Amino acid sequence: MLLSCNIWAEEFIAGKTKAETCLGCHAIPGYNNVYPTYKVPKLAGQHAEYIVSALKAYQTKERKHQTMHANAMALTDEDINDIAKYFESLK
Amino acid sequence: MSKIVVKISILLVLFNLNNILLAGDYNAGKEKSQVCSACHGVEGISQIKMYPILAGQHKNYLVHALNEYRSGVRNNVVMKGFAAGLSDKDIEDLSQYFSMQNGLKIPPLK
Repeated sequence: MLLSCNIWAEEFIAGKTKAETCLGCHAIPGYNNVYPTYKVPKLAGQHAEYIVSALKAYQTKERKHQTMHANAMALTDEDINDIAKYFESLK
Repeated sequence: MSKIVVKISILLVLFNLNNILLAGDYNAGKEKSQVCSACHGVEGISQIKMYPILAGQHKNYLVHALNEYRSGVRNNVVMKGFAAGLSDKDIEDLSQYFSMQNGLKIPPLK
């Protein structure tokens, strides 16, 4: 039980640290993507499984967005899992 | 001078009409969202974890995503099938409805 709590806490902290870059756009209320203009999507509370699939689709350029492509390219599978779990935990 | 005022007034009215027609109708969106709920859950909280929660997402992001699914820029077989049948008004209505549900939040900065 204690061990699993530790693992959870470690993952949470890892995800939180790795997610700092994301916050520069995703945590600014009213922050817009331009050309086309729309608000940067909310991530807090989103399913981790979906965030993983979105980031992997950005990596393969299957999903198109230059900034997200550049950011996703720098991530390992472990980074992606940690980041996704962190955002999911923010319910 | 007054001609210019009239012209500007007409333009403003037309612009507003366009906005009103495309503003997104909550109740119409709720009605149309029944198809979506099979995967995205009742009120946009999906129980199937591979499908995103839509509740509370920014309206214009949802509009953007649906437009990309419809045009095929965002390549997803399932969503392309659903989005293909949507008009601009449908997209506005659905996005209005889901954006007003309680769900996703902006992550905290610290």
